[in-house]
Amino acid sequence: MVLALRGVRVVYGRHPALDGFDLDVAAGERVALVGPSGAGKTTVLRLCTGGVQPSAGRVEVLGHDLGTVTPEELRAVRRRVGTVYQQLNLVGPLRVVHNVNAGRLGWWTRRRAVRSLVKPAEVDVARAALARVGIADKLHERTDRLSGGEQQRVALARVLVQEPELILADEPVSSLDPARAEEVMDLLGEVVADRGRTLLVSLHDFGLARRRCDRVVGMRAGRVVFDLPAGDVTDELGVELYRIG
Amino acid sequence: MTATRDLTDLTSREVGLPVDGGPGGDRGAGWSGRRFWALLALVAVGWTLWSAGVGRQEIVNPGGWTLLARFWRAALDPQLSGEFLRRTWDASLTTVAFAVLGTALSVAIGLVAGVLTSETWWRRTRGGRRPGWLAGRALLGLPRGTHEAVWGLFLVNVLGRDPMVGVLAIAIPFGAITAKVYAELIDEAAGGPYDVLRAAGAGRVVALAYAVLPRTLPDMVSYAFYRFECSIRSAVILGMIGAGGLGLELNLAFQGLAYREMWTLIYALVAVSAVADLWGATLRRRGTPRRIRTSLLAGGALVVAGAVHLGPDLGRLVSARTRSLLADVAARAWPPRPPADGWGGLVSRSLDTVEMSLLAVAIGGSLAVVAAFVAARGGETPGRRAVALAARLALLVTRAIPPPVWALLVLFVLFPGPFPGALALGIYNFGILGRLMAEAVENLEPAPGAALAALGASPASVFAYATLPLSAGRFAAYGLYRWEVAVRETVVVGVVGAGGLGRLLEQQRAAFDYQGMLATVLALVAVSVVVDLISASARRAIR
Repeated sequence: MVLALRGVRVVYGRHPALDGFDLDVAAGERVALVGPSGAGKTTVLRLCTGGVQPSAGRVEVLGHDLGTVTPEELRAVRRRVGTVYQQLNLVGPLRVVHNVNAGRLGWWTRRRAVRSLVKPAEVDVARAALARVGIADKLHERTDRLSGGEQQRVALARVLVQEPELILADEPVSSLDPARAEEVMDLLGEVVADRGRTLLVSLHDFGLARRRCDRVVGMRAGRVVFDLPAGDVTDELGVELYRIG
Repeated sequence: MTATRDLTDLTSREVGLPVDGGPGGDRGAGWSGRRFWALLALVAVGWTLWSAGVGRQEIVNPGGWTLLARFWRAALDPQLSGEFLRRTWDASLTTVAFAVLGTALSVAIGLVAGVLTSETWWRRTRGGRRPGWLAGRALLGLPRGTHEAVWGLFLVNVLGRDPMVGVLAIAIPFGAITAKVYAELIDEAAGGPYDVLRAAGAGRVVALAYAVLPRTLPDMVSYAFYRFECSIRSAVILGMIGAGGLGLELNLAFQGLAYREMWTLIYALVAVSAVADLWGATLRRRGTPRRIRTSLLAGGALVVAGAVHLGPDLGRLVSARTRSLLADVAARAWPPRPPADGWGGLVSRSLDTVEMSLLAVAIGGSLAVVAAFVAARGGETPGRRAVALAARLALLVTRAIPPPVWALLVLFVLFPGPFPGALALGIYNFGILGRLMAEAVENLEPAPGAALAALGASPASVFAYATLPLSAGRFAAYGLYRWEVAVRETVVVGVVGAGGLGRLLEQQRAAFDYQGMLATVLALVAVSVVVDLISASARRAIR
């Protein structure tokens, strides 16, 4: 199992974001998390990198129980897990090459990391990654001068050079129009297919989830409502999932 | 979401820069621009160090160390006799009263002049009004370009020894700065709602009151409290040149080399500054509408108390004697006359002033960058938080002690010249910049750094790839902002003989050379204008 969450409970303040949550993801699977806002999708993703600690239950990522790992082990797990964020979370004032190279920071020594800021290291790797996402010519531009679409590609290139086994994507397309959303999902699909990587992606768009993933997990109020192969998911399930009240 | 903006945003408006945020586009020259300015800054600082004689001549006076040591030893043994404590208490009240009344008056000036110099006020009216806007803006330039101390020297000649001197010396320059900031805030908040009300037939004042004021009020209050922090420091400096309060007592104690008394006064200064700074910082970090209302009420009460304590003679402002003194000063000062070595001498002293300010900001700024990361709140371990608290305290002490006192201390161990003046200003600006920068670090968006930690980056790498690049732009902007202020502040260290135009001004004052003083003040204004222009284009390029 790449990912195993068992009976997980996460509480923010007094409000439980997840309660008795179970999820297994096998290697090479593409799994979509769908559900209304506040269902706990983002919390699931943050659990997988140790960004949130559960108050009960077990989170196992790539064979490591995140509840018992040492800081060094946690770092070792984290560098095998790449994340694409809705807000991208790039460092605007840095040049594109450094934002792409940031994907390597889990692997690099501190010395190498700092030196690369002066004289960029592994430029060929970064350039190849940018070429894969179609913006090889932007290598030396300042990241915050790029358009939104170009920055999205930089974020994908950062995941590419990280070479993770598991890719997490938190609403990667919810701020994009349908045509751009398809484009980004194509690129994300390519990155995943590249090495038979595992994908866990949270999506608002029900149709996108069914078309792009092998499995769809419906969530509501911190619990799993259904967990089905993409082919078995019906429109009625979607209507029921997003029902208000 | 905090209710008010942070300080870069507010202080950026003092020099009329567009505030950051929003995607790229018209962001100027880019990398080459940044590199150019970084290189220029390095060259300038290098030139300054060389010409200050660092590494070329003897600058350290080894005989002074014992005196300096005696001063620091007295820190543990301040004068705590009942009589002196009463005197300190009284002086503290006077200083606070100056600051409170000065701030209140500058906010009043700022509100009126801010409205009158906003583009919103002049917009969409018949032709012929636009020149009014330009004239208003230009008119604010002179008071803004002149340091409080210079205003103090001028006013004392016209009003004599009256508390109004201290209040006005703060209110005139700060009122002009506040007007600038308020005008920018008004113009930014105007837009839609204001136009809708105007189109519906509302007058300008009504439309401003309903559509603009409610939206800008939190920022205006927040900025007023930042000005109050600055006013406390100015009130101390004005005290040192004779206005009374803690500054005057400090000066007297220093002249008598009464270190124990000095430390009592310094502790009082630190306490007063701490309260003012904490008040302002709390409003910026957690400025709920209720807190803002309470602060406004408390501020109002302080104004009344301050007026009662100082008992300024408002009649004197318009008395015949004041008018004749004003005419007299004007007659004796005109036309401006250069010092004995001619206009060339004035130019070379202007260069000294620029050098001192550059060096001051280079020293203060580079130390402040380090201190900012140590002092920022939000540490994860108790030990880390304790270190941060200690650093914030150290920054508080360095900015609570006014630059002239730092200059006198520095002159114990350094031979007089521009370098000790720059060092004194540098120490003081270290306290101010460190605090501003620490606040910027606290306000950094955490997500990009968290994203790097989530992919396995070590804390050091997160710092190098996220924290540092995200804060560098703000640091540079603060450095440039303080450089502009430091140019004006060279006056107050010049007064103790540290060199540049300030020293000349002090010599001319002692000799009652009003024509010379006018020429020197004009040179100071010219230097500030040039420095502001350079700084503004640098800030635009590095955004």
